[in-house]
Amino acid sequence: MSGPILSIEGLQVNYGHVDAVRNVSFEVPTGSLVTLVGANGAGKTSVLNAVSGLIRPRRGTIRFKGEDVTRWPAHRMVKAGLVQVPEGREILATLTVAENLMLGGWHRRSTLATNVERMYERFPVLDERRKLQAGSLSGGEQQMLAIARALIAEPEVLLLDEPSMGLAPKIVDEVFAVIEEIRSAGTTVVLVEQNARRGLAAADFGYVLETGEITHSGVATALLADERVIEAYLGLE
Amino acid sequence: MQQLMDGIFLGSIYALFAVGYTLVFGVLDRLNLAHAAVFSAGALVGIEVVTRSGLSIWLAVPIVMVVGALLGLIIERVAFRPLNGRHDAHFAGLISSIALGAIIIALLQARYGPDTTRFPPEVFPKKRFEFLGATVSLLQVLILIISVGLVVLLTWLVAKSKLGRGMRTIAENPHAASVLGINVNRVTSVTFAISSALGAAAGVLFTLNVNTAQLGIGHAVELKGLAVIIVGGLGSLPGALVGGVVLGLAEVYAVNYVGSSWRDMVAFGLLFLILVVRPQGLFGARKKREV
Amino acid sequence: MFEYTSLITLIALAAILAYSFYAVLLAGQLSLAQLGLASLAVFTSSLVVPDDPLFGFIPPLVVGIVFGMLVGMIAAFILGLPLMRLRGVFLAIATLAFAEMVRIFLINQSWTNGAQGLSYPKLVGPGIAWSALVIVAFGFWRLSGSRLGRAFDAIREDELAATSMGINVARHRMLSFVIAGAISGLYGVLLGYFTRFADPNEFSFTAAVDGLVTAVVGGVVFFIGPVLGGLFLTVLPELQRTFGVEASWIRPLISGVLLLVVILFIPGGLAGLIPRRKSASKLITDPTLMPSLPGLPKRGTPLVSLRGLSKSYGGVTAVRVVDLDLGAGEVLGLIGPNGAGKTTLVNMVTGLTFQSAGTGEVLGNALTGRTKAHALAQAGVARTFQQIKLFGRLSALENVLVGSYRISRGTLLRRLIFLPSARRDERQTVAMASAQLARVGLADKAATPAGDLSYGDQRRLEIARALAAHPTLLVLDEPAAGMNRVEAGRLAALIRSLGTDGIGILVIEHNVRMMLETCDRIIVLNFGEVIASGAPADIARDPAVLEAYLGSDATASDEAVTRLAVQDLTATARLAETSRPRPEEKQ
Repeated sequence: MSGPILSIEGLQVNYGHVDAVRNVSFEVPTGSLVTLVGANGAGKTSVLNAVSGLIRPRRGTIRFKGEDVTRWPAHRMVKAGLVQVPEGREILATLTVAENLMLGGWHRRSTLATNVERMYERFPVLDERRKLQAGSLSGGEQQMLAIARALIAEPEVLLLDEPSMGLAPKIVDEVFAVIEEIRSAGTTVVLVEQNARRGLAAADFGYVLETGEITHSGVATALLADERVIEAYLGLE
Repeated sequence: MQQLMDGIFLGSIYALFAVGYTLVFGVLDRLNLAHAAVFSAGALVGIEVVTRSGLSIWLAVPIVMVVGALLGLIIERVAFRPLNGRHDAHFAGLISSIALGAIIIALLQARYGPDTTRFPPEVFPKKRFEFLGATVSLLQVLILIISVGLVVLLTWLVAKSKLGRGMRTIAENPHAASVLGINVNRVTSVTFAISSALGAAAGVLFTLNVNTAQLGIGHAVELKGLAVIIVGGLGSLPGALVGGVVLGLAEVYAVNYVGSSWRDMVAFGLLFLILVVRPQGLFGARKKREV
Repeated sequence: MFEYTSLITLIALAAILAYSFYAVLLAGQLSLAQLGLASLAVFTSSLVVPDDPLFGFIPPLVVGIVFGMLVGMIAAFILGLPLMRLRGVFLAIATLAFAEMVRIFLINQSWTNGAQGLSYPKLVGPGIAWSALVIVAFGFWRLSGSRLGRAFDAIREDELAATSMGINVARHRMLSFVIAGAISGLYGVLLGYFTRFADPNEFSFTAAVDGLVTAVVGGVVFFIGPVLGGLFLTVLPELQRTFGVEASWIRPLISGVLLLVVILFIPGGLAGLIPRRKSASKLITDPTLMPSLPGLPKRGTPLVSLRGLSKSYGGVTAVRVVDLDLGAGEVLGLIGPNGAGKTTLVNMVTGLTFQSAGTGEVLGNALTGRTKAHALAQAGVARTFQQIKLFGRLSALENVLVGSYRISRGTLLRRLIFLPSARRDERQTVAMASAQLARVGLADKAATPAGDLSYGDQRRLEIARALAAHPTLLVLDEPAAGMNRVEAGRLAALIRSLGTDGIGILVIEHNVRMMLETCDRIIVLNFGEVIASGAPADIARDPAVLEAYLGSDATASDEAVTRLAVQDLTATARLAETSRPRPEEKQ
């Protein structure tokens, strides 16, 4: 399609009187991987939540596939093909792995069975643990479960909020490998990461958020090489 | 034996009423104190429907359930949804549902007056059976079947249907439910509608059992319903069922041995005891609630 | 004429009942037991109140009132003991059950005459009723500027924050319960001796709802509130009668609608109903008014020592065998990736969680399963939180005032009789709070509601509130979150100066650069374990630390980046080392 699959303009998100996000604008070209980096409290999660329809922005416009979706609630966004893997995974600990996966197909009933089988193929570790309670999985396995669950919803745009959080470096490698696969398969990915190095290394484009505003932006490799960005963010891990 | 039967019949109605409370509490973590008003409404509307239109009492039950469902939708929309996201939501929900309940009762009073009414006597089936040494009426049997049937239906719904999966997901993690694309508002509304439909049904069945109805019956049963769900465990459907029957039996036996004026004490004593000793109830999970 | 006297008296009584609900709402809870307590009071008083003055001069009514209030208080206390662990919904239901149990019990007693009720001599008229009301209202008025009043405010807004300031939440909740009991008892006795009649069914759930409505609806306006509420409840039926509108359902309908409207639309919800005294916003900068405070321990005195501390939740080990020491005047940094266990560790140090294994000592208190967070706070521990826990609707100065709970004395009793020493104490507390606001650079925002401040300012305000307790140990959980470079720099300077003053400081942060500049020592946690500990310069060079933060398996382009990062961190550390003022120099 022509034009970016997702575009955000002048986004402002408030919690009470506090401005979590002030005047953020950026575009996500179709099929690309875009990363938002920034310190804790910089507003990254708020941006994702506004895009996903989980919170309503105070101001600004969000366009998905050319349509104005600013005021759309979360369930409509998922149905339309924009799915989030939230910070902290948010899997349902008392349900089994299989039940968690099935929930991913809430809006994709007809293809559910096929999609679930595909996920078992792609993530053998989930296949082995089909009947186990999701809460008993390790951090890395839960992250895989959360991603698989999101994929079952057949997203055109996948948002990932801090996928590396709390995971050992080796597991993080695996997670990012999966993300790269997803991107190669044609899904557009928007990534939020505190681990700036990782997040930017995987991306085509990057945006740096500081106290609710974008302070640096550009091609990811350029940002990685930019002294100022490194100074500001790699030291701030 | 007679007492056993009476206790079970009474208990099944308590269970039906309590199930409505526990459904809402289990899914949404809120206590709907307007439920009692719905109970009263079910009773009074049921009587009106039968008296006015001459329909069979058994047809009155579904009609009353529809009325109850509508009330449930209103209660959710007016007393609970506006409170979403407020940090005192649980607390405020108690008060807003008390308020809405009072409004409903006031409107019922406007329409039906404060006096006791009853079904016209000819609508009752006269058949009686002998069962294991106790006299049991067809009416009671049918009430039991309806109550148990509705509870079983609900349990199936929650366990197997898509709606039920949505309810359970929201109960476990409302944020995850939104992230998954579940329309939380719609599922919540439907939950309330079902809960209130059951509450209204309980109201009309209760009235059929004792054949008097008056504004205050909702309140009398309300506390017993609370006792049932707390003893059985908040949010637990089997708990509500078991708790209801236990209470029904306990009351019937208490009346026989201690006297009817102490009857209500059973419920409250039990409630109090459980709250102090084991607040999560018999079947409930130990949830840490910050309210 | 009689009609109006009766009306006026009933208004006063309804207002008194409203205050009994008030008392529990003050502490953020909903209790529906008041009518049951009132019922108990009035019926038991019938057994005790003599026909003639006691000892020849004490009027029977006084006996009744005193007795009734005592019964109310004792019953509330006994009721409260098992219920204090309950919150919200459960407490409301339990108290409701209690009230019903009382009703049924009393109906079945012969000495209450069952449902027929007892008759009482008429001992109460409008004068007595209104005098009683004025006294109750006076008590609440004096409460609101006192240390106790502020403690209730804190509990209502955020129990966890209140505990961390040294407030014994359980004791305060019980206190509010007992106060409510006393007022309920007063109400019951006055009602009985005015209407000349009491029957257990009067004290029903419907009456409780009326009382609640009065408290909630009327509560919006301070002092006048319950009176207005009482007015509404009694006047409306009278008006109806005058206009010949017989429908008795109108009043409950309007009651319900009002209650619903108030609860839905009052900003700040229920907490907004408790009337706010005018914002304390005047700073006191006169140094002679500062309270005299005990000195801080000598530099280096051990404040915290943890040995082998571990914490597991179910199968997950959040903190694994951690050793930690912190002395007075030292700034110790705690860093590590998200989920490394830093906040859990700090929660153990401040008494909010208890360890699964290992031992610890904080300010001379051993960390046992019985250690309460408020006790540690009283010993001199103060903290800020990862999620800001300020009292949004109170002004900046008022927030800090609450923080000084630990170092101030109770003032309510003295305020009741307007003793000047109470005022002096208050001024000292305000002076202390003002000084802390100035210390963090927020003096010009003293009157701003905390919820309106910027994120960075809110973080600093939390620190000021913690400082108002004159802590020996200060624990900061991500104080620089959301701050830009300039703000973080100023924060670093502030923390260093506090360390120089002799406070022991434990800081959790993600802003590694800032930590390198600020701390004397740094401990690095990853997956709950200490992976490095030592001087900032050493930490910056430690390969284990770099791996934890930056990850391994660097690809070719990433190597360069890693090198840069290492250089950068080392350079910063060297810079910090040379520029940090030596401890002996005053800032």
